[in-house]
Amino acid sequence: MEQRGLAAALRRGRWVFVALMVLTVVEFILLWLNIPRILFRFLLLVINGVDAGLILYYFMHIAQLWRKEA
Amino acid sequence: MAAHPSAIGWVPRPRLFINRVGLWLFILSESFLFGAALSSRYYLQGAERPPEVNQLLGLAITTVLLASSLSAYRAEMSAAHGHLSGLLRNLAATIALGLLFLIGVGVEWHEAFIYFPPADPYGTVFFTTTGLHAFHVLTGVIALSIVLYLGRDGRFTHGNYWGVEGAVKYWHFVDVAWVFIYPTLYLVR
Repeated sequence: MEQRGLAAALRRGRWVFVALMVLTVVEFILLWLNIPRILFRFLLLVINGVDAGLILYYFMHIAQLWRKEA
Repeated sequence: MAAHPSAIGWVPRPRLFINRVGLWLFILSESFLFGAALSSRYYLQGAERPPEVNQLLGLAITTVLLASSLSAYRAEMSAAHGHLSGLLRNLAATIALGLLFLIGVGVEWHEAFIYFPPADPYGTVFFTTTGLHAFHVLTGVIALSIVLYLGRDGRFTHGNYWGVEGAVKYWHFVDVAWVFIYPTLYLVR
């Protein structure tokens, strides 16, 4: 049971890492595309907001702060 | 005579919850520090940046730091599930990746001294922000090393791993800070 729970947690971590890497590569590619600066800045803001949200929720477990069992 | 806390509706929180809130407040205060450093970039330099910024190195050290966050997460999950070897292995990997990140920043600084020295507006922001962040990485490496040393004998087990959780949360915060530093210094134009 413990091992199954650990395997599921590790699998979730891998997916979050893949998502973070994809977003990082996307913002790197955006740098080389000829898109309007204002759009580029807006996309960076959105991508980094999602990045931070993924880390805060899945890696830092911010939801522990308002969960009853904490 | 003072009333018992439960008699006035006050229920004491578990120690772990108080530890977590304390750490989150510390992280919040640290985020103001990084926020000030990042906003100074736009105040001193606007949205412009020198073309000599090493984009590939920036992407490489970002990848290293994101990978270290994954290994830190795996270390915490291993501790939470009582898996000692997984905890030690992933803590060691996180420390190694943190040191690799610091080497990458050292290489970047070596180039930066040539192209945008600290006396330039961009150099001022670059060295201040990356230096501040590298110092946090260094303290994170020290914290994780202490946890690794203490954890060798199985001190952190299922249900009792606050030491691991605290150090790992701090490490993730260092990663979140970099998620905003990277585009601010390397990408924004």
